[in-house]
Amino acid sequence: MGLLSIIRKIKRKEKEMRILMVGLDNSGKTTIVLRINGEDTSIISPTLGFNIKTIKYQKYSLNIWDVGGQKTIRSYWRNYFEQTDGLVWVVDSSDVRRLEDCRMELENLLKEERLSGASLLVFANKQDIQGALTPAEITKVLNLEALDKTRHWKLVGCSAYTGEGLLEGFDWLVQDIASRIYVLD
Amino acid sequence: MEDKNPTSETEPDAQTHKKHLAMLDRLANLHQTRSSTRNQSKPEPGSLSSFLSLFSSTKLSIESDLTRLLSSDSKPDPAVAKPDLDKISTSISDLERVLAQNSYFLPSYELRSSLKSISDLKGALEKASSELIPRKKFSFKNKSALRKDPAELFKQSEEKPQSDANLPTKEIKSSPGIRSKKGAVLVKNFRVLDEGNGEFTLSDLDSCEVYIKGRIRALFINRLTNCRVFCGPVLGSILIEEVRGCLFVLASHQIRIHQAKETDFYLRVRSRPIIEDCGGVRFGPYRFSYEGVDDELRESRLDEETGNWGNVDDFKWLRAVQSPNWCLIPEEEWVDTVNASELEENFDDC
Repeated sequence: MGLLSIIRKIKRKEKEMRILMVGLDNSGKTTIVLRINGEDTSIISPTLGFNIKTIKYQKYSLNIWDVGGQKTIRSYWRNYFEQTDGLVWVVDSSDVRRLEDCRMELENLLKEERLSGASLLVFANKQDIQGALTPAEITKVLNLEALDKTRHWKLVGCSAYTGEGLLEGFDWLVQDIASRIYVLD
Repeated sequence: MEDKNPTSETEPDAQTHKKHLAMLDRLANLHQTRSSTRNQSKPEPGSLSSFLSLFSSTKLSIESDLTRLLSSDSKPDPAVAKPDLDKISTSISDLERVLAQNSYFLPSYELRSSLKSISDLKGALEKASSELIPRKKFSFKNKSALRKDPAELFKQSEEKPQSDANLPTKEIKSSPGIRSKKGAVLVKNFRVLDEGNGEFTLSDLDSCEVYIKGRIRALFINRLTNCRVFCGPVLGSILIEEVRGCLFVLASHQIRIHQAKETDFYLRVRSRPIIEDCGGVRFGPYRFSYEGVDDELRESRLDEETGNWGNVDDFKWLRAVQSPNWCLIPEEEWVDTVNASELEENFDDC
């Protein structure tokens, strides 16, 4: 436990937040991270393992873990659960056929004890595509209203392509985590 | 400068010294509280040798328990042996937990060998229980496990329609696409309609030829058999699932291919295409044209031939050697570029 409390203190000092980005493949996780960091999003290959980005956001330093969503590597998501302050679940709102898969994977994820304290931000991505489901429809399909009352969550419609909604989502996430962890400041 | 240095250094030195002493004090206190609260049977955290000796002694006692059980003259009654075996199983999992708790400081060799010992112990326990507890019990166990499954399946099937009912009906109607056709030639033209801002779906097609002209944002393809599909630039991504015996000519920023068998892909792609659960898939360069396709490719930033059509990543083959699941199409076998300029749209009810 000694080590843990040291890590906590260091985190506190540097106002670090650990954010885990997950979701089905093709939902746009990497694109969101690169877009919010102001990087080129025109050449992004499907993620083979994971990417880590450290981003200064307001007065906080976000460690964003962007983990690949292909079926084969979803079982490795668990390796990244430890110490997660914020969970970002990304949904391809235009992929109606796999929404049921998406709901089941999220449900499994939220059962995970190590993530029980993490704030949950759901990005209903690809809102710019005609025919995409609206944020309200995604909320309904994912059955978010039925989540455990103790869970802090929010669903935000966004487009990693245009950048719309991304800041709104991250603003909420960072504020929510800050109010939990850095309540003394 | 030289005069100043010593004085300015002594002061911090004294401070550091004080801090140092204070820290030593704290550490000593910490150590004391730790050792007083420490459970005697648990190794001191961070101490390698105490962990190793605890581990090996526990391991030895488990092993001797097992041998004692197996070597008793008369075969013990299964009812008697069961609690003993359970006890051993519990101590093995306890040992496993202790290992997990201490794994952060163990050198990798010790960690590996300890893990190996635990799996050996588990194997020995399994062997012992199969010897001591008669077969009958085993089949009974299997049956009860089987009995459970249908119940779970039933539960799942109960859940499914519910969630399907949750889905708004709007999406099935509004998602544009070509579905459930057999032996048809289908031409869709997004150029004249200028509605290339949306997604498009091809699903459940058998022995069809599909030509899609113009730009679209996203393309979903699933369950196609013996089809030939030619498509203009896709600005976002293409997701392909469950296709067999097909030929695809596609251009996109991202392409993901799942569960494809014996299918040729002719691609123009900005990033690396990926395959997952595929077999017998082959790759070549983009071979589709119609009047204005070059402009559209440029507008979609797909005019540049990146050569990525041949840089395929296989999620089921993460090794340096070539995956057996895919290969390049030899140049002499490439299909001729298909020109669809003359083809008239014949499909607009989607």
